Amino acid sequence: MILIKKILQSSKSVKFGDWFVITLFCALIIISAKFLWSLPQGEYLEIYKNNKILATYSLNQEITKEINGTKGKTKIIINNGKVRFSSSPCPKKYCIHQGWINKANQTIVCIPNQISISIVGAKRGYDTINY
Amino acid sequence: MRLNSLLIYFLISFLFGCSDNKIHHDKDFIFGTLIDIKIYGESKIHAEKVSNEIFNEFHRLHKLLHPWEQSLITDINNAIAKNKSIPIDNDEVISILIHAQYLETQTQTLFNPSIGKLIKLWGFHSNDHKQETIPIQKVIQKLVSSNPSMQSIQIKKGVLKSNNKDVQIDLGGYAKGYALDQAKKILANNNIENALINIGGNILAFGKHGERDWVVGIQNPRKPNVLATITLKPGWAIGTSGDYQRYIIVNNQRYSHLISPKTGYPSNNTQSATVLIPPSKGSGVLSDVFSKPLFIASKENKIKMANLLNIKQFLIIMDNGSILISESLNKKINWEDDIDKKNITIF
Repeated sequence: MILIKKILQSSKSVKFGDWFVITLFCALIIISAKFLWSLPQGEYLEIYKNNKILATYSLNQEITKEINGTKGKTKIIINNGKVRFSSSPCPKKYCIHQGWINKANQTIVCIPNQISISIVGAKRGYDTINY
Repeated sequence: MRLNSLLIYFLISFLFGCSDNKIHHDKDFIFGTLIDIKIYGESKIHAEKVSNEIFNEFHRLHKLLHPWEQSLITDINNAIAKNKSIPIDNDEVISILIHAQYLETQTQTLFNPSIGKLIKLWGFHSNDHKQETIPIQKVIQKLVSSNPSMQSIQIKKGVLKSNNKDVQIDLGGYAKGYALDQAKKILANNNIENALINIGGNILAFGKHGERDWVVGIQNPRKPNVLATITLKPGWAIGTSGDYQRYIIVNNQRYSHLISPKTGYPSNNTQSATVLIPPSKGSGVLSDVFSKPLFIASKENKIKMANLLNIKQFLIIMDNGSILISESLNKKINWEDDIDKKNITIF
């Protein structure tokens, strides 16, 4: 609040560039908020090995899956709507550090073990219905 | 300050531009059913213009082909009933009727769009299907034995005559598919690359949903959800005949609008028949027409009929819930979890 007051008081000294930066950041905050809130929750998890789909699981369960990649076993935990890598034979463990994902279209890729997971679906996994 | 307002305005419009979905979605109610158009990746103005053009075309076809509201078809039917010939000053309708004649022969008369009298008798020439009685058997038999057929219709030099006055044309199993093909032309003429047209369940995939193909859910005939999803490659069309949209219930028995031209009774061995038709000029019509013979044919003849019509991708749900599916469709279909795989037979 004090900061805003100060800015308002000294508005004469606020130059065009300042306004530009302020507006830009406000807009950025609104854009990211809108974008993040509008992402639909996922319904299904797709597990890929070498870009080939290996399995599809419902996200609405508590289960640990072991997948055989090219280097060894990857463990993936599904926990009621979210999913993460819990162990992987890869050297840097980037996939594990990604942590949980839970939104549609979120993806984690483990390049060394050639395993990737992707959340699909939103509520409906289709564009239209044939009836 | 004026510059600042301008800047803010610019940023706000940029914001809306960003949040705008890439799909333009439009709906309308024509042919007594819901029309759903999705256009992907075009400007809002262009997409709106094109979907309006498509809706206008559908309204035109509705007025031209309607089986019981006044149309060129009802004019023809009235003339036929009076045993009169009628000049048709409309090449489009003439070519539709000739095509329908051909399809009737090709489907061994299981697709017969000249049984308007039977369809009316069963109460399906209305939008609400409130008929509470089934027709008298003798009347049905009389209509069946009058042997209505598109082949009774002759068109010479633009004049139509039927040598069977019990012929009443009802293009209910053709018009929606034809409309899909017309929509396809409009999309192409307007340089649209990606769209999805759904006319009361008859669907045409035009291009893709951006980077991925369009995905269609197939309605479960007895549950309020889909039974499977399927990817429709660019240009493919899908159509279903089902007993769960248009039907009457008399004494707890369901009578669907899919009436067998051979018995005069609604076909009751099937819940739904779905066909996928590969890209071609008339794929829309075929997706509409070819589901009918698969629905109406007896169980043992369904597969024969699919082979005869060269339908490589079909899915049939029988009255007991068992599923018949072609091998190539089975390879790409994604069943929902509640579908019992033991119920599925692959052909």
